[in-house]
Amino acid sequence: MDILSTAFLVALIAGALRQTTPLLFTALGGMFNERSGVVNIALEAIINFGALAAAVTVQLVEAPYLAQDPNVRIWWIPWVGVLAAIVAGVITAWIHAVVTIRYRADQIVSGTAINMLSFGLPSIVLLFLYQNTTASQEVVHRILPISSYLPFLQDFFATPLGRILDQSPLVYLAFVLVPVTYFALFKTPWGLRLRSVGEHPEAADSLGINVFLMRYQGVLLSGVLAGIAGAYLSIDQINQFIRMMAAGRGFIALAALIFGKWHPFGILGATLLFGFAEAFRIQIEGAGVLPSPILQAFPYVLTMLVLAGFIGRARPPAAIGKPYEK
Amino acid sequence: MSRALIPLASLLFALLAAVSPWFVIKRAFGGKGVLLAPFGLVNPGATRVPEFDLGWVPLAFWVWVGLALFASLAYLFLKGRTRARALYLLGGLGLLLFALEAYAFYRQVAEVNAAALEAGARRPPLKRYSLSLGLYLQFAYALFLFVLARMQTPGGAGLLVRYRGVVVPAVSLLLAMVVGGVLVWLLRPIPGLREPLSTYGYLVAKLDLVTYTFQLLFGPLLTLPGLFQSALIATPLIFTGLSVAFGFKAGLFNIGAPGQLIMGAVFAMFAGLYLPGPKFLVLPAAIAAAALGGALWGAIPGWLKARFGAHEVINTIMMNYVALSVMLLLLSKNEWSFFGRTVHFPFKAPGYEPKSLEISEAARIPLFLNLLGFKGAGPGELSLALPLAFLLLLLGYYLFFKKLELGPRVLASLAAAMAGYLVGGLLPGIPAQVGADLASVRLNGAFLIALFSVAFYNFFMWRTKYGYELRAVGLAPKAAEYAGVKIAQKLVLTMAIAGALAGLAATHYVLGGGIDEYRFKQSIPYNVGFDGIAVALMGQNTPIGVTLAAGLFGVLLTGGLQLNLQLGISRELVLVLEALIVLFIAAGGFLPRYFTDPLLAAEFLKRLAPTREKEVD
Repeated sequence: MDILSTAFLVALIAGALRQTTPLLFTALGGMFNERSGVVNIALEAIINFGALAAAVTVQLVEAPYLAQDPNVRIWWIPWVGVLAAIVAGVITAWIHAVVTIRYRADQIVSGTAINMLSFGLPSIVLLFLYQNTTASQEVVHRILPISSYLPFLQDFFATPLGRILDQSPLVYLAFVLVPVTYFALFKTPWGLRLRSVGEHPEAADSLGINVFLMRYQGVLLSGVLAGIAGAYLSIDQINQFIRMMAAGRGFIALAALIFGKWHPFGILGATLLFGFAEAFRIQIEGAGVLPSPILQAFPYVLTMLVLAGFIGRARPPAAIGKPYEK
Repeated sequence: MSRALIPLASLLFALLAAVSPWFVIKRAFGGKGVLLAPFGLVNPGATRVPEFDLGWVPLAFWVWVGLALFASLAYLFLKGRTRARALYLLGGLGLLLFALEAYAFYRQVAEVNAAALEAGARRPPLKRYSLSLGLYLQFAYALFLFVLARMQTPGGAGLLVRYRGVVVPAVSLLLAMVVGGVLVWLLRPIPGLREPLSTYGYLVAKLDLVTYTFQLLFGPLLTLPGLFQSALIATPLIFTGLSVAFGFKAGLFNIGAPGQLIMGAVFAMFAGLYLPGPKFLVLPAAIAAAALGGALWGAIPGWLKARFGAHEVINTIMMNYVALSVMLLLLSKNEWSFFGRTVHFPFKAPGYEPKSLEISEAARIPLFLNLLGFKGAGPGELSLALPLAFLLLLLGYYLFFKKLELGPRVLASLAAAMAGYLVGGLLPGIPAQVGADLASVRLNGAFLIALFSVAFYNFFMWRTKYGYELRAVGLAPKAAEYAGVKIAQKLVLTMAIAGALAGLAATHYVLGGGIDEYRFKQSIPYNVGFDGIAVALMGQNTPIGVTLAAGLFGVLLTGGLQLNLQLGISRELVLVLEALIVLFIAAGGFLPRYFTDPLLAAEFLKRLAPTREKEVD
């Protein structure tokens, strides 16, 4: 295999963008809750539940249409799945929010509990719907790359650049969200309020900002974004839900969040690093350079190295992890 | 406590009791049951059963309504001692009524069965009969009245807060069971439903489904093989629970128990395969190897935290994935290519199944039944060696050598245990019969190692200087540092010991043959490392608590197997219950804050007892 061949580079870059997308969604989501002062290691669970909800919803919605005509393709069905993933993500995040904000539970313990829930609960739902405990039925309506929406640009999408740009709309959404979240967080009054309750909730409270409300918003937003990441995994990258399919992405996203210094552009860089590492691993997996288990451990080791060494002295939001008492 | 709470609870009790099945007179495999509720017989499967008349028992419902009413009135309108006496009386009446109903039921069943057999039936018609939700509720309500009464007597008002270490986990368990019950209600149909039910029948049958689910889950408590199997499942949970609890005590959250367990298994495997020598050397060495593997894996995140301030939660999780990769590398293939060079692994069993070769005879931990002197199924003798050793250990520690310093005290007790073991081995055994189902349970000596680990945890944490320092770091790191505790060193030490405890769980799986073979298999259920979190929280990080919580989850997981077989509910329900328990305990069982915050609890108790302080003055 030639490392510098165009085909390899195209596959690497396109793969990196695909691997970055769920991490980017999740890390941006995590940014909102951490900026508001709540640690959310339940991101992993939110991805899992989002993925489950998306796959199950698409399957249930498409079933009657497919029963009438097996070849029918309806454009809006995958987006209902995305919506379901958002709802599932918000519900999951809401549980975390209630337990940690209202009942002042230890945020790490609560997150762990919700993660455990996301390992067990899907099996029960899957057994109820599909008579097995590990995977959902495969769906027909996946989110397709943009080339399928733009048939008149067929020639362009055959070129190397076109093959890199021929990604799912969700990939574009993830990257567009970077400046959007930057604007929301740093250029709007709402963003200032969100950051202030994460830095000094007492001061924010004394200025009439509702600390609890802002924290709820931060956590629920992480539910929205990580939920979309889940939908991306189950009805975009592949076409079904597989038990524990987040595979640590929630935690890697947290590392990227810290590495990216809780800033949208920093997060973009950090998740791109992880995305490229993962894509590179996938590309050389077949070459027999190293045993695949060693390669599979690569992103996790990278995460630890990032957390240990390269962070510099990033300063987390000052009030992070502490329940607010009025 | 708000005044309306008691009448509300009583009302809820009465309503639930009205629509609950009180007795199940016959249950088929798969959960189809014939249910007796206070307002009639509910028979969803149209099973044929003989005439069954319980006489006065259904009317007892109205007695219970009266009881609940009186209890509410007594609570609302009586004061002080009279109120306590009335509640005690009502609670006692309730218990009596409960016992009478249960007795009447079992007698009637025996009579019906005897009559049928006399009439020529080949088998008794009523099988797998049992009490059901209605009766459980009655028992619980009677106990509730007792507790309420106790709370009215002097010094009783703070009762629940004083025992919050038990109350919070218990309430969380109860809440988790309610949520789990709702899940089952929503997801499963009524078993064996043949004909449409009335609304009342539907409610009763659904509640029976939920009740039966939990009867199955707690079922292993009732049989000896079930208890053995539960102890088998509980063994690794004790280790991982201790591991997590150890971290918690020092203010660290060890989510890395799964990875530490895997590395313990890796080390134990190598020791078991390649260490030569006699058993009395190899076996301890192999056990130590398991601990060492876990300790190394735990120490790394500890060091990363101490040196770089990297958060241990994410790092331990990452270490889990890396350990998983190590396991895959070692077990999934015999040959790997490193940069084009092929490397052959000699320890992997040939064939597709990912597992190691069998470890040597010398490194195997004997089965628990063998330790007790039995040779397998069939008649045998219960050797007195182990029971006597255990007895003398306890007696020595708590009675004979109570006056000694801790070190000599422990040593003397251990010596007494050794003597007991030797003497017990010489005494003639007690003849006993071992059933095939009991002999098939692979409970092994690792269970004893687990119990020793509990003792170690207790001594180390509460009786040594190191433990004291660790707890100080956990409670107030800054204060501890000011007092001269080396925080960085303690972080590494804590994580290493926590890792060693998790690594010891591998002794059960690899050295003890916990999964049927004396090998390191890829199917090793490393997820028990996550269960350890639930065990530690449920046990409130105390040695006894962790042991009991591990036992509870051992029972539930064992019962989960039946759940799958009989009701088609995924065993994962137990995992869901576990996760909910962790969540609810984290939220303090949704109880007022003086149940979770020690300072607020002290304040609350102080406010309750101003009179007593005056007496002291």
